[in-house]
Amino acid sequence: MFPEARIDVALRTDRGRVAEVSVRSTRMIQAARLFAGRLPEEVAALLPSVFSLCGAAQKVACVAAVEAAGGRAPSPAQATLRRVDVLAETVAEHGLAVIRDWPALGGETADLAPAKALRVAMASIRGHGPQGVATAAEALAEILGAPLDAIVASADSFAGWMDGRASPAARLLSGIVRDGLAGFGAATFRPMPAGGPADLEPRLAEDHDGRYAAAPDSLGTVFETGPLARQASHPVVATVTEDHGGGLLARMAARLVDMASALRDLGQLVQDLPDEPVAAPPLGAGTGVGVVEAARGLLAHRIELEDGRVKSYRILAPTEWNFHPAGPLAAGLTGAPAEDGLERRARLLVHALDPCVACTVTVE
Amino acid sequence: MCMAVPSKIVAIEDGIATVEAFGQTRQCSLMLLADEVTVGDYVILGAGGTFAAEKVPEDAALAALDYLAEVLASGLA
Repeated sequence: MFPEARIDVALRTDRGRVAEVSVRSTRMIQAARLFAGRLPEEVAALLPSVFSLCGAAQKVACVAAVEAAGGRAPSPAQATLRRVDVLAETVAEHGLAVIRDWPALGGETADLAPAKALRVAMASIRGHGPQGVATAAEALAEILGAPLDAIVASADSFAGWMDGRASPAARLLSGIVRDGLAGFGAATFRPMPAGGPADLEPRLAEDHDGRYAAAPDSLGTVFETGPLARQASHPVVATVTEDHGGGLLARMAARLVDMASALRDLGQLVQDLPDEPVAAPPLGAGTGVGVVEAARGLLAHRIELEDGRVKSYRILAPTEWNFHPAGPLAAGLTGAPAEDGLERRARLLVHALDPCVACTVTVE
Repeated sequence: MCMAVPSKIVAIEDGIATVEAFGQTRQCSLMLLADEVTVGDYVILGAGGTFAAEKVPEDAALAALDYLAEVLASGLA
């Protein structure tokens, strides 16, 4: 059998507090090495079949890395197509969390029909244009109890939607506020800079043993990547963060805001979508890095080409930042009160930081 | 990275598929799948492996399985 990648989080408590957080990952962060010897287009074709949650982002990062290696930039049409693919994947991933996981986290039963409608809409968005965006917005409005754009229009509309408790998602978030957990998991907020850390390229280049890809940092800082880092200045997210800190509620609100923003951008982009397929990566030589903001955060690929074939390939994925042994999850849990319900609170935080593999939580 | 294993559908009953990969069978829901699938098709599963996330064309699935077999053999998995 093929081993399933997993993250195991263990909390050691002492004198009423979480004294130590251990985050262990069995994610196969070295597997990209085996792309060596292949043609870049083989790698680009392979990526969507071996990454189920972020296949589009992986492919786009690969193509961008190959282009960078050849010193080329994508045509505007190609850049638009790629952006549409990544945004559609972002909406589908956030939507799945909200539709399937949020009801379960609140102890309710999920209605999966809108999740399917959303995935179908996003899968077909290139063919169906604006209708795909409208279908997705309808499916989300049905599950959220109000149109997503209206919910995140202002801090007041967001609060009103939560207080109305008209959907499992609203009940989950208002329950989090009621239970005093809105700020749970807040720690010093270190958002990922746009485009990645300044030392991303040299660190990836030097990463011969894969330690950087497994536990990245930038001059000792472990950034948080994903919706909160991207949307921190949005009025809804900024207000929640001001009131409660960058904890559970801020991260979950940021996910809704991020989904609304991606859907809005898609609505614009599909208006005049070029009628051409995503081009295969051009033949190239040299070294290049491709960076994409995927649903869960910054995804970086580094490719080194020699005689048209891959000499080395490295991937740095967002989960390695957020679930770094000294990253936002560990920082957010360290010092938390070791009272009843700690395990559930830790699970909520894991969910809010959205790992791309299954994650277990144990309290010792 | 969150490697997914393309799995071959060997049976379907009431929206639940039995899928096989690397000699192991498991069951997953087809409820979230955007495409229609039948026995013999390949799908990749979402995190946790309880639902099929996407249909994969056979040639892409076989290429991915070859690569994943290499990953397994190399000890990088």
